[in-house]
Amino acid sequence: MRLVIARCTVDYDGRLTAHLPTAIRLIMVKADGCVAIHADGGAYKPLNWMNAPNRLREEEGTWTVTNPKGEKLTIAMEEVLADSDHDLGIDPGLQKDGVESHLQELLAANPGALRHGFRLVRREYPTDIGPVDLLCRDDEGNAFAVEIKRRGEIDGVEQLTRYLDFLNRDPTLRPVRGVFAAQEIKPQAKVLATDRDIDWVVVDYDELRGIESDELRLF
Amino acid sequence: MKFRCEREALERALGLASRAVSTRGGSLPVLSGVHLALVGNELRITGSDLDLTISVGVEVAGDTDGITVLPAKLASDIVRAVADGKVEFAVEGEEAHISAGRSEFSLRVIPADEFPQLPEPAANAVQLDAAVFRDALRQVIPAASADDSRPILTGVLMAAESDGLRLVATDSYRLAVRDLPGTSVLTGDESVLVPSRSLNELARVLDAGAELTLRLGEHDATFEMAGARVTTRLIEGEFPNYRGLIPASQPNRLTVNRELLLDAVRRVRLLAQEATPVRLIMKPDILELVAVTQDVGQAHEAVDASYDGAELTVAFNPDYLLQGIDVTGGDEVTLETVDELKPALLRMVGSDEFLYLLMPVRVS
Repeated sequence: MRLVIARCTVDYDGRLTAHLPTAIRLIMVKADGCVAIHADGGAYKPLNWMNAPNRLREEEGTWTVTNPKGEKLTIAMEEVLADSDHDLGIDPGLQKDGVESHLQELLAANPGALRHGFRLVRREYPTDIGPVDLLCRDDEGNAFAVEIKRRGEIDGVEQLTRYLDFLNRDPTLRPVRGVFAAQEIKPQAKVLATDRDIDWVVVDYDELRGIESDELRLF
Repeated sequence: MKFRCEREALERALGLASRAVSTRGGSLPVLSGVHLALVGNELRITGSDLDLTISVGVEVAGDTDGITVLPAKLASDIVRAVADGKVEFAVEGEEAHISAGRSEFSLRVIPADEFPQLPEPAANAVQLDAAVFRDALRQVIPAASADDSRPILTGVLMAAESDGLRLVATDSYRLAVRDLPGTSVLTGDESVLVPSRSLNELARVLDAGAELTLRLGEHDATFEMAGARVTTRLIEGEFPNYRGLIPASQPNRLTVNRELLLDAVRRVRLLAQEATPVRLIMKPDILELVAVTQDVGQAHEAVDASYDGAELTVAFNPDYLLQGIDVTGGDEVTLETVDELKPALLRMVGSDEFLYLLMPVRVS
């Protein structure tokens, strides 16, 4: 990865023409050949870029990037403030979060996010057909089996229904009600859950992780 | 069942009743239909999804009394499509025949005995001023949440106040409170939570000049007006303690012409894309509005205003701000603020009956 910070102007000529007037910018030249010009803002999106495959020609004060489609990016360097190369090695790829186990962990730590007054009895509460994600009790001591999914679909409601069937055979627990929790729940799953007297809760993963949104809330 | 009536009247009644018809299918397929009951010259058309029921009466030239259930969408589409004038309707066996002009339709009916018995409205009735109530609904409904995962917030709280009735709605980003002094519906510290969807439908049905009667039951509320009845199941649960959210006093106060502000926000919002907010820069005698969308562009507009307080920039979700200004009413509005992160209070100048509390958006 080559990082160049320079005072420059940039002209793009291709499907349209675009001009970036003089300013200090970061120019990234990636190992695969991609060239991206960033300002000090605007999150991930470059002001202008040229994907690989392309050809970068460096001349005194001018970089020219061309690609087979006939597009051209001309960077006129007025002053180079920094120019460095870094070997980033092989990227391990994006590990997506929001997985069920993490949701389960977060909800086990904060069962009140499911319903006010909930307290955790046990994670992975065993039944004869496998463990249900959480077993909770409310303020009045009523038992609730909680099934947690990233995407709530009909299958998840069916699974919870089977757990409830077994849990309600236990005289120390019954009556056990069901709570179906997911980051998003399909309308059909909501209908089926409601029809079976199972509560459903859409959980906000970011909120559970304590990530603050820019959109502030009253409560 | 057999009757004749004007197409327009039948279309309106079918259209209104169909708005309550279940679109999600569910365990009772009969609820995808509208129930028609004819007694003498009065036809009553009812649609329901069990949470909301809308029943509309139409004056017809009745021939043979009876009941039937028709597929709601198809029946509405047919009546809307046929030529203006008289529509003849008859049910024979399992088929309904609709004819108008030179068009004839026959439709398979849904067995009427499968249509659920809907609850009778409560006996206790109170009268409401339909125009005032409709105006109040228009002000608070936009602040109710559309997110079913927090059902309490999808409702509008109707609560007794010492001098009348109060309507409250919040989606946690904004709060709308409307007082209706002199309207006695509830007493003491009574309150009910009515689904905003039902009230939205009521507002459509409500004719400003009509008498409006409210019957509150234990689990449902029924609104009756000339020829129409809207029954809604109430939401059970505790509404958030909204009173503590309303600040007693705020040091900064902006006063601005409502229409000018509304138009300016509408224009500037064009450049508030990708969930970016609109910034309000408040200075003495001037309000500046700015929206910037990276890689797209920016908008700036100045509006004459009077401002008393420290110079301040506060950013808001443009849609929430626009809805607030729109429903506040009056010629001039005030926006009271503490700082860029605390809720701002929008009110109409010269009236304390409505307030709109709006949380800012954090900007760097």
